[in-house]
Amino acid sequence: MAATRRLQKELNDIRQSGLKSFRDIQVDESNILTWQGLIVPDNPPYNKGAFRIEINFPAEYPFKPPKISFKTKIYHPNIDEKGQVCLPIISAENWKPATKTDQVIQALVALVNDPEPEHPLRAELAEEYLKDRKKFSKNAEEFTKKHSEKRPSD
Amino acid sequence: MSAESDMEYSDNDGDEYDYYGEVDDCDMDSVDQSKTDPEYFLFSCLRVEEVEKLLNESIELLSNSLQITPSLAKVILHAYEWNAQEIINKYKENPNEVLIFSRVKSCVPSTPGNSNGSHCAVCANTTLLQKFSALACGHYFCNDCWAMHFEVQIMQGVSNTIQCMAPECEVRAPEDFVLSHVTKPSVRDRYQQFMFKDHVKSHPQLRFCPGPNCQWLFRAWVREGARRVECQGCELLTCFSCGAPHHAPTDCITIRLWLTKCADDSETANYISANTKDCPKCQICIEKNGGCNHMQCGSCRHDFCWVCLGDWKCHGSEYYECSRYKEDPNLASDSQHAQAREALKKYLHYYERWENHARSLKLEEQTLACLKSRINQKVMAGEGTWIDWQYLWDSAKLLKRCRYTLQYTYPFAYYMDNGPRKELFEYQQAQLEAEIENLSWKVERAETTDRGDLENQMDIAEKRRTTLLKDFLDININNASSSKV
Repeated sequence: MAATRRLQKELNDIRQSGLKSFRDIQVDESNILTWQGLIVPDNPPYNKGAFRIEINFPAEYPFKPPKISFKTKIYHPNIDEKGQVCLPIISAENWKPATKTDQVIQALVALVNDPEPEHPLRAELAEEYLKDRKKFSKNAEEFTKKHSEKRPSD
Repeated sequence: MSAESDMEYSDNDGDEYDYYGEVDDCDMDSVDQSKTDPEYFLFSCLRVEEVEKLLNESIELLSNSLQITPSLAKVILHAYEWNAQEIINKYKENPNEVLIFSRVKSCVPSTPGNSNGSHCAVCANTTLLQKFSALACGHYFCNDCWAMHFEVQIMQGVSNTIQCMAPECEVRAPEDFVLSHVTKPSVRDRYQQFMFKDHVKSHPQLRFCPGPNCQWLFRAWVREGARRVECQGCELLTCFSCGAPHHAPTDCITIRLWLTKCADDSETANYISANTKDCPKCQICIEKNGGCNHMQCGSCRHDFCWVCLGDWKCHGSEYYECSRYKEDPNLASDSQHAQAREALKKYLHYYERWENHARSLKLEEQTLACLKSRINQKVMAGEGTWIDWQYLWDSAKLLKRCRYTLQYTYPFAYYMDNGPRKELFEYQQAQLEAEIENLSWKVERAETTDRGDLENQMDIAEKRRTTLLKDFLDININNASSSKV
């Protein structure tokens, strides 16, 4: 199966590259189509914690895009309460088979660090982000402290 | 061409024999149509094969003059909306610009060998170099991956716009490249079908007939304003500009607003406009079984209007009040709640009339069918020929055409600003409505109505219809007025 070989290679490459912003990658030996990992953002207010995500690859991967969802609750205009995220690079229309998962993760980390209030998934947070940045940062920081996972120490 | 000569009729009063002359003289009719019919629009109804021929002519022209493959010509024509002459002129000036604009070539200089040698970045496999291929951008991938990529894209309905597999590369795969990789016959068929649909959609002179399972296409040269095209196959009336059901005198933007609104509010409206009403005099429950809104209670013989339940006597005068919506003058000072209620009331007023005429149209379809079989019976029984009874058929078709226009005057009036123009419009609308109901009454009782009387009524109704369209159909008014939304 094309998906297995490609994913095995991608997994090895990512693990070897030692990405600082995506750690603790867990993949079940019996099912390489599901990955879990920890997003570690650099920008405040999200730099107080880490966020667990799940990547689901379809059987037709890489001809169809993977799906990403947040397992950790996050206060973010582009990520909703269910953990769904809107990431253009993995939309069905934009998807390119030669796009690598590490490019997808980098796009995701960039979105977490710098929210895009122009096309929000949670309109009320986007409005707060634009109109009262101080309040937004305060809320997001408190939310992060309460719900997020511990950041890796190194 | 729309075959409507059968709807033309004599405008003299009473002289029956002139009528035949008009019917026979088809040429006269078609010459005159552009002047007499305010909705006249030049178009043609084509079959799929004819459209394919038309498209192939453009493809051949371009591929011959630019010395490129037909597949590339298709990609370029699609990008330039099938304007072959424009492409040829631009290509002479700057071929590169044309190729980049149509995404045949990449706008960034190609970086050959990015998939170094025999390693495919998509499947992470190593295979023989001969089994690799690339588009003009030079992004090489193995043939198995290309085949899989095309198959997935085609199954998702993508055809003309399938792109290279490299990230951020927008170069499009031409038909010959796709077909050289895809081998499954079912997928190839789908691809060809989607290509054709996509070509028609990108062609400003073409439109599919939206009728269910209808295989016909329209071709016309103007694509703005309310433009009536009638399908040769399914007889559906469509607006060539927007693809919605034909909607004169309402314009394309307004009808879209109206249809969306109706879809949103349909539940409320459905509830309110039920199929039965009580007789205003004896309160017996009455189901409407004909198109005419002039009702006569079967129980007490009371004549009344189905729409407003008022006495029909008041509707006979030149002021047909029932189509006019009266806004409450004391409204401005009222609370928001009352205003919302007033807005709903206003909408329902127009919606009920719109919906009612739509229903009448359906019921009159049945009248039309009945009429046809009755005429056939008469002809079989030796009571005259088809020509003798043709006027009955014509009257029912004319009624349909008039009521259709009347139905589409309601969204127009709903979105019109208050003022003298709206007053004029609603006056004309009321006149049209009154004459249509008269006509409908007479058509339903056609065999007992005097023929001269019926033909006279046909003439009056059609005059009202054309007058309204001449005054308010946007394509006839150069200095568009306050009727815009």
